[in-house]
Amino acid sequence: MLDTVEKEDTVISEEEAAQYDRQIRLWGLDAQKRLRGSHVLLVGLRGLGAEVAKNLILAGVKGLTLLDHEEVTEESCRAQFLIPVGSEGQNRAQASLERAQYLNPMVDVKADTEPVESKPDEFFLQFDAVCLTGCPRDLMIRIDQICSQKNVKVFCGDVFGYHGYMFSNLGPEHHYVEEKLKAVKPSEGTSDGPDTKKPKVDPSETTMVKKTASFCSLKEALEIDWTSEKAKASLKRTPADYFLLQVAPLPSPFAPSVLLKFRTDKGRDPQPSSFADDSTILRQIRDDVLEAQGLASDLIPDEFVSYCFSEMAPVCAVVGGVLGQEIVKALSQRDAPHRNFFFFDGLKGSGVVDYFATK
Amino acid sequence: MVQLVGSLRKELADSVSSCRVLVVGAGGIGCELLKNLVLTGFKNIEVIDLDTIDVSNLNRQFLFQKKHVGKSKAQVAKESVLQFCPEANITAYHDSIMNPDYNVEFFKNFMLVMNALDNRAARNHVNRMCLAANIPLIESGTAGYLGQVTVIKKGLTECYECQPKPTQKTFPGCTIRNTPSEPIHCIVWAKYLYNQLFGEEDADQEVSPDTADPEASWDPAQTAARAGASNQDGDIKRVSTKDWARSTGYDPVKIFNKLFKDDIMYLLTMDKLWKKRKAPQPLDWAVVQEMADAFLQSDEVSGQGLRDQQVLGVKGYAQLFCNSVETLRSQLAEKGEGAQLVWDKDDPPAMDFVTAAANLRMHVFSMNMKSRFDVKSMAGNIIPAIATTNAVIAGLIVLEALKILSGDLEQCRTVFLNKQPNPRKKLLVPCALDPPNTNCYVCASKPEVTVKLNVHKTLVQSLQDKILKEKFGMVAPDVQIEDGKGTILISSEEGETDANNSKCLSEFGIRNGSRLQVDDFLQDYTLLVNLLHCEDLEKDVEFEVVGDAPDKAPPAPNVPEEDKNIANGNQDSALPSTSSKVPIEKDDVLIVDSDEEPSSSTMEAAVEMGGVKRKLEDVETGGAGSKRKRLFELPINDDDIIALD
Repeated sequence: MLDTVEKEDTVISEEEAAQYDRQIRLWGLDAQKRLRGSHVLLVGLRGLGAEVAKNLILAGVKGLTLLDHEEVTEESCRAQFLIPVGSEGQNRAQASLERAQYLNPMVDVKADTEPVESKPDEFFLQFDAVCLTGCPRDLMIRIDQICSQKNVKVFCGDVFGYHGYMFSNLGPEHHYVEEKLKAVKPSEGTSDGPDTKKPKVDPSETTMVKKTASFCSLKEALEIDWTSEKAKASLKRTPADYFLLQVAPLPSPFAPSVLLKFRTDKGRDPQPSSFADDSTILRQIRDDVLEAQGLASDLIPDEFVSYCFSEMAPVCAVVGGVLGQEIVKALSQRDAPHRNFFFFDGLKGSGVVDYFATK
Repeated sequence: MVQLVGSLRKELADSVSSCRVLVVGAGGIGCELLKNLVLTGFKNIEVIDLDTIDVSNLNRQFLFQKKHVGKSKAQVAKESVLQFCPEANITAYHDSIMNPDYNVEFFKNFMLVMNALDNRAARNHVNRMCLAANIPLIESGTAGYLGQVTVIKKGLTECYECQPKPTQKTFPGCTIRNTPSEPIHCIVWAKYLYNQLFGEEDADQEVSPDTADPEASWDPAQTAARAGASNQDGDIKRVSTKDWARSTGYDPVKIFNKLFKDDIMYLLTMDKLWKKRKAPQPLDWAVVQEMADAFLQSDEVSGQGLRDQQVLGVKGYAQLFCNSVETLRSQLAEKGEGAQLVWDKDDPPAMDFVTAAANLRMHVFSMNMKSRFDVKSMAGNIIPAIATTNAVIAGLIVLEALKILSGDLEQCRTVFLNKQPNPRKKLLVPCALDPPNTNCYVCASKPEVTVKLNVHKTLVQSLQDKILKEKFGMVAPDVQIEDGKGTILISSEEGETDANNSKCLSEFGIRNGSRLQVDDFLQDYTLLVNLLHCEDLEKDVEFEVVGDAPDKAPPAPNVPEEDKNIANGNQDSALPSTSSKVPIEKDDVLIVDSDEEPSSSTMEAAVEMGGVKRKLEDVETGGAGSKRKRLFELPINDDDIIALD
């Protein structure tokens, strides 16, 4: 969808040029035009979703659909900056719409209140990119498979307390360009002796280099057999945070897969209001998951429980910033994408990019 | 039993909701930061910004909308935040943080200060205020895709000024006036020209051929003779550029011919300059008029590109020159007798003028001409900026703030945001904080510094403005000579020592080895300045701080020679020569089982920044074996004119 001729012809108005000036100076006019022709679906309007929405709207995509079937609760008012006070009981996407639109009137922002599970396959194929936040694992895998039919770019992301991750699948052949400085040419001679200087090659002149990157599906990214010798050897070098999604054991101080399992089992994420009960359940899931893989439960110390409740606003900002920029890069086909996971540990301040695939 | 309030443990949550914090700046980082703070539960926030909203801010400063253009950033930011968090207690100041109202007592009201600034002068100032008040400061900066956050705490960490920062890039006068070789030289020249014709004339911003150029003569004695002669030679310096222009009635054609024909022909007579360089080619207005009409500027947006990104032909720029001179002439006339214009990149005729003049000069000197878009980047020191980088950095700022409030200062880190992951796969790289530099001329217990200058030539005014204020970051210095009599050289009280300004230092008995005690009472800062008399400083160099990296040190091997990146620092050549930091070779073994990088002082990574185009390679591999430089140097100041050194 991104290669249609239509996008090339998109005209940038003077108004857009003025507003987007500082980003056009960074990623160029072509990239801005491609953004200007892209439609994105964003699922989930909690803290992380709001950050991604803001980043994409400010970047200047053509259209953004906010999809969320949940209602605004008293707690969400504190969690998210698009929802105005007094919106309790309204649909989250609907409540976010006005302030989202104000961010940039030139973007067509829509709200969709249906559950994502109920959407037919064709629904997803009308977009250039789909971003899933707060979704159960199996749903993410299914949507990822649907989108691969038409090379719709897929992004996933979540934040659990101090921790967060993003995943991307840009398809088996994602084309992009990188800007490189032109090599300084050796001077063409004149006759004036060995020290002749020529007008210098302008050091600010650059050239665009075409590249391709390949991505695996979400299913492939998750189905790593950690019991194999090769996988075990790589475990030590694997960022602890990878295991946000894996239902496999993890040598990590917290258990992302545990968190996703909680989400699947309980239909919601751990909540501060039921901290005591949820903590107990989390520890139990941890025990079960690790035991099933033949690993000791102290691989994930009890402490992990304190740091994965709710979405921390600054962590949403960091993950939402990286995720937002990855979507921008993919749509504009400019600059090397992060492949294929990004993990953020808000306690340590470390953010790691790593590639996981069965092959 | 641990209790949570949201994601935070109760004690921390209570601390967060009760403390007072100060945010300095309500722009790119500031907007994101305010949002993160209130969502995290901070209730008592004060925010200060002297700026008003511009349309180019709207791609990232998301608390502002188009209808707010022209209004106070701090004020509108506050109002926007209250929309989604009405219980937040926000005080907004539309003011400069350097206003003496914001004294040490003011700063002491806060648990913590967070900078969201875009210029070094303010950063230096807030650094000193926080040292004086002894409160933690979280410093940060972004440029393009890159960003950085760090924590400053007196006695525990380096302060912002512990490491000398590279000063703004400058070019020698003769390069600007005689032998430009890059577009930037022509752009600087054009800005000087604007000031000479329409603005405040500055002796350091000459545009006419420099007859005292040492390269121009075969014989040093002859150079000296020429330098002397030029003062008597009526053609060259007797009449100021502005007076001459006025005498022609600001006739654009006459001005054009003087600058691009007569002056160029004069340069051609300085034949030694052109032995190894391509000689410039004069332009005559009448001849230009005969040229073909390539790309005359039109008012319509071209089908594919931005109008501003078109590159016109010589005739087009000549026309643009003529039109802008006429417009500026009218502007000047409207303002009345003795009026001056101030260059502003967002003032269309001012930008047109610089675009035209710079391009005509580029053409004269055989350089490829540049679009208005590109000229604006360079002339206006524009740093490209996007929302996401600021969002990430502002998130990291709050995470550091939480550590500080928890009393976990030893967990604080400097965190770098790269464009691409480093060899250890890190996109966000936390590094341990460095301890204070015991010789820091700001935070050491008795700061002291040594300055080389010519006591017979340096004026008191220069000491105050260029050395104490610009170089040493003071806002309102008081200077006493340590001569046993406590002679007051400069008083910060308005008018008290004005009579001293135009005298040179030696008139006060200052000579080699003299010491000055300099105080800035607002910053609670005392600096002892040792003076060394020196008669052979480089041309155009007025003073030198001993122990500083020279501005034009030889570049490190992986930086192209004479890198003329104009952005505000971050060049290998400016790494302190006295640095004791050991670069890590690629083969060095790092501590592999720790997630963290060693202290940033043992990692050097050059971040080459500047304008639109940057040297990307070094940045992308930031990490062990590659070079990293602090980002805080960028930007220094959005509208700074690049000065002669």
